[in-house]
Amino acid sequence: MYGKGLRPLSIATVAAIVASLSLVFFYAPLDADQGFIQKIFYLHVPLAIVALVGFVIGGVFAIAHLRSGNSRWDAYSYVSIHMSVIFGVAVLITGSIWAKASWGHWWVWDEPTLVSFLIVFLMYATYYPFRYAIEDRERQARYASVFAITAGAFVPLNFMAVRMAQSLVHPRVFATTNGGLPGSMMLTFLVSLLAIGLLWVTLVKFELTAKSASGQLKRLRRALDAPTPGGRSRVAPEVS
Amino acid sequence: MLALLAATPALPLDEAGKYVAGAYVVFLALIVVYVAIMAAKLQRIERELRELAGFVETGANGDGQAAPEREEATSDV
Repeated sequence: MYGKGLRPLSIATVAAIVASLSLVFFYAPLDADQGFIQKIFYLHVPLAIVALVGFVIGGVFAIAHLRSGNSRWDAYSYVSIHMSVIFGVAVLITGSIWAKASWGHWWVWDEPTLVSFLIVFLMYATYYPFRYAIEDRERQARYASVFAITAGAFVPLNFMAVRMAQSLVHPRVFATTNGGLPGSMMLTFLVSLLAIGLLWVTLVKFELTAKSASGQLKRLRRALDAPTPGGRSRVAPEVS
Repeated sequence: MLALLAATPALPLDEAGKYVAGAYVVFLALIVVYVAIMAAKLQRIERELRELAGFVETGANGDGQAAPEREEATSDV
């Protein structure tokens, strides 16, 4: 069910990534201030945007789960958050590399954009122990949904707080006044954002498909009363 | 922070290149590791499904019924 359309989506993702990399390295001009190192921008910023949007989407799915009680929405929420955490790791690492190259430091604690993202990331890192500390499946899903909604609401608030902090280190390059991104850079950025967004959707769908297959296999095993790997069945013999 | 920025002008291409390559390689490595983990999971599912198909075939043969085709059992995967 989840695997439907995965192949064309994967092809579109690969095509978008190839187009994005081509634009980054062969079309977008070198930044007058940062030079070649600014190429990290086309990876780091889309990753951050997609990760943050993914956290919010996880919260939206969690609302759907609490409203309907359908465990499918809980799976959507879990996988969205899981994928965004992985993207978050990439954001922190690529950001640190960029910081080291630009500022000479791997991490700068007085930069609100960096620290706020770290806070969001660490908050979502607690999602796993929180979720798996609860044994009852129904309660686990319900509590995880409440967490996802609360944390998902925190993400845009956090973003607005950082915008209001008026940092000088991360200039607001998407502003329409006082010099935003030039057209070629903006096009490259948008294609990169599309590529990373498609990658997120593809990987979410991929993981949902695997989870669905695993769940169906377990149900089939229970229905057939077949032995589980490493365990023994009540009535059926072991399968060699 | 402004003083820090002023003291760190743009890196030359040969020096910046390794940082840019590092960032893109780290991202690629993360994706490859994730896909490898998912591939291992899918292999386990496939193996379990094969075991289950064998279990069903053995049970069906034991009851004197015709065993289902392997292709039928795995066509939805």
